[in-house]
Amino acid sequence: MDLHINGKTHPVRDDQVAPDMPLLWALRDVLHLTGTKFGCGIGACGACTVHVDGQAVRSCVMPLSAVQGREVRTIEGLASPAGLHALQTAWIAQQVPQCGYCQSGMLMAAADLLARHPQPTDAQIDEAIANLCRCGTYPRVRAAIHAAARAQGAAAVPAPQVLR
Amino acid sequence: MKRRTFVLSALGGAGLLVVGWGVAPQRSRLGKPEDFAGSQGEIALNGWIRITAQGRVVMAMPRAEMGQGVHTALPMLVADELDMPLEWVSTETAGPQSIYGNVAMFVESLPFHPRSTQPGQETVAARTGQWLVGKLARELGLSVTGGSSSVTDAWEPVRLAAATARAQLVAAAAQRWGVPAAEVQVLNGALQHGARRAHLGELAEAAVRIQPEHVRPKTAAQRKLIGQAALRRDVPAKVRGQAVFGIDVRPPGLLFAAVRMAPVLGGGVGALRNEAEVLRMPGVQKCLRLGAHGGATAGVAVVAQTTWHALRAVQALDVQWQAPADDQGQPRPPQALADSDRILQALVREAREGDGGTTFHSRGDAAQAEAQAHHQIEATYQAPYLAHATMEPMNGTALLQDGRLTLWLPTQVPSQVRKLAAKAAGVDEEHVVLHVTLLGGGFGRRLEVDYVLQAVEAAQAMPGRPVQILWPREEDTTHDFYRPASAAHLRASWGADWDSAGAVGAVGVRPQSLRIHSAGDAITPRWMARTLPALAGPVDMPDKTAMEGLFDQPYAIAHQHMRHAATRNEVPVGFWRSVGHSHHAFFIESFIDEMAAESKADPVAFRLSLLADMPRHAAVLRLAADKAGWGAPLAAGRARGVALHESFGSIVAQVAEVALENGAPRVHRVVVAVDCGTVVNPDIVAQQMESGVIFGLTAALHGRIDVKGGMVQQKSFPDYPLLGLAQSPVIETHIVPSSLPPTGVGEPGTPPIAPAVANALFALTGKRLRALPLRLG
Repeated sequence: MDLHINGKTHPVRDDQVAPDMPLLWALRDVLHLTGTKFGCGIGACGACTVHVDGQAVRSCVMPLSAVQGREVRTIEGLASPAGLHALQTAWIAQQVPQCGYCQSGMLMAAADLLARHPQPTDAQIDEAIANLCRCGTYPRVRAAIHAAARAQGAAAVPAPQVLR
Repeated sequence: MKRRTFVLSALGGAGLLVVGWGVAPQRSRLGKPEDFAGSQGEIALNGWIRITAQGRVVMAMPRAEMGQGVHTALPMLVADELDMPLEWVSTETAGPQSIYGNVAMFVESLPFHPRSTQPGQETVAARTGQWLVGKLARELGLSVTGGSSSVTDAWEPVRLAAATARAQLVAAAAQRWGVPAAEVQVLNGALQHGARRAHLGELAEAAVRIQPEHVRPKTAAQRKLIGQAALRRDVPAKVRGQAVFGIDVRPPGLLFAAVRMAPVLGGGVGALRNEAEVLRMPGVQKCLRLGAHGGATAGVAVVAQTTWHALRAVQALDVQWQAPADDQGQPRPPQALADSDRILQALVREAREGDGGTTFHSRGDAAQAEAQAHHQIEATYQAPYLAHATMEPMNGTALLQDGRLTLWLPTQVPSQVRKLAAKAAGVDEEHVVLHVTLLGGGFGRRLEVDYVLQAVEAAQAMPGRPVQILWPREEDTTHDFYRPASAAHLRASWGADWDSAGAVGAVGVRPQSLRIHSAGDAITPRWMARTLPALAGPVDMPDKTAMEGLFDQPYAIAHQHMRHAATRNEVPVGFWRSVGHSHHAFFIESFIDEMAAESKADPVAFRLSLLADMPRHAAVLRLAADKAGWGAPLAAGRARGVALHESFGSIVAQVAEVALENGAPRVHRVVVAVDCGTVVNPDIVAQQMESGVIFGLTAALHGRIDVKGGMVQQKSFPDYPLLGLAQSPVIETHIVPSSLPPTGVGEPGTPPIAPAVANALFALTGKRLRALPLRLG
């Protein structure tokens, strides 16, 4: 079967994968895209969050059969050739990660939220970010999402003209 | 003279005769260039510092990065001393040499009272004990990331190593240019004299031959980088998904194994009833039995081409699990196996009624004071077992090939791993190559070696192929080394002052005695037996962790008696972020609040009245109270609670602002004040305070591991929940300026939050909660 990941098509052999294999393990163990993490295997912690057709999903409970012909984006594909995603920039500025293990999933969940709500409220952040973090980066995650939203908003508005 | 004082003094005297005070301990940790030999073109100047051909620096990194920021903080020490940009310092896993051993952690493990060890005012006994243990630790050279000690430990030797390298490079430049060394400057990582300039790589070879004398690290006034909120070096890779944790290593030909342990702690593995069938499942290569390594429970593993194939197969394996056997070798019935309720009841009974145990601290005559008391209160507190629940489950990767063992491990104990893995694999220790990966959380769990030895066993079964073993989340939760269940009975009394109560105002009435009897399993002796068997003794020495944070409380109370009964139950126990402090701070700081309330005092003023001779503690408490607006009115339905606690050399006060939401506590805001000595990176300090608060809140509001019939009942995040983003408070951190040497930051943020929240709940509801997790009604 073919997997469409981060804009590329990856052919995988039938002896490497199976239709009921969760996407997570195809990413990590077959394609060696290890940025997406295993945390619980039951979709409870969010460490394995990726986008399928632009929507955040838990890849540990998403069988390969369900992503056939669909576009998968992982943390490795969050930045564009032009540079880091606004969230990644904000994550660095706010110094969000500690151990960093859950952060790929956090960022993918946040990217999905910003795509749906460019200026999310605290309540929308509360609802969208159900990812677990044992280091307690949550206050900085919230601050960085707001910062990225502001940066994106500022970029979307034409720069004010300087009057002489 | 007390017996302990005498013994230590005698030992100290003997030590002086043998080695003399004159041996500069930090200099002995500089190491030699051959300790840190690098690839071609790189020149080592000592055991810590290597100069590249481009004039950059590689530093030996003996500590694991598990989120606490040590891979930024230690390079900052080097960059500051060499006046170079932080980005120019890279790190490489340090070797097995003893110079990389953690001395500070072992010194801190001595059971001295903080009143004996205040910096600059140490008692003779404390100084002697610290000196002796420091000497012993330097000889042993055990490399451990734990006890919030990495910066404390590295502070002197790493700055001295960098300063010495600098002095050598400066001298080399002076020789080459024919100018006095005092005129050579170091600017932006380059050497300079007038118009002449050279980068470090150009002078490294000449510098090796120079032996500088009288090298001193910079003074506080000369530092440029230390104290700055430099950006963490590990963050860019972590936001790109490029950081390599243990679970991410992918050596060529890697096989994957999934692990399942006997569900009953200490149980065994019988027949694998359907092994042939499982071996026929797609992608499966081998079924293995795993021994009860490193104090863990025996289990099975299936090796396969991906983790998923392995997970499916190991779940399908029909294992005949065996119950733990009794002395006669008979399987023990479930009702005779570990039961956490029963254990806690026994601990409570021991704390209330027992009369044995070790006295950790005694002054005045508490029993006499109680006999003559005008007023008394007493209370019993308790805390459950807790799991670490690192986000990255236990895993390890090993390759056994041609008599060499290569390991890729997220571990906090590299020196013990080298020893124990070599022994298990039957190879010489010098044939072990250990790559320490990033750790997806440690919190003490990765001070254990159980999963390491499982990885070695899997590699032995598949020679020539690297094998990565992974624990499913359910195994990680059910086969941890748990924070021990614990109980304490506390009793306070007041003298004749009590009768004048009412006339004393907000500071309340000064108590005359405090007596604490606690009970719980000792951790250190069990851990020593698992990871340092060579040092484990036939009998348990008194374990400071068993009563730390209780016997050493800072308040000036004339009569004190602090005793702990060390128990030994079947549930395996280990170091859990802040260790004894994690629950003891809840016991003592809640009870101090009870004492304040009993004498109708303000909780902050009451504490301050007992801290007249502990000015650092008082300053921290005042700062937290001021910043939190202590005493100012709050929105209806909210209340504040305060707690103050010293751990790992640092003093932390927290004020929590709490409300009730659907009958459950909801913490809205936490103000943290901390005195952790000299601050290397204030933003990392703030991060660790935030982290400690949220880690502690998970324990205070949710954390609980139950064991029934020898089986851990909680399995994964749905039944062992962590605090989520939506429930997280706003947290602000304020740092007390200090010129004392740096002390811990990774753990000290955790202990005060549970009592701060419990005390706020008392202020809010009038209900005193004396058991963790905190449950109202």
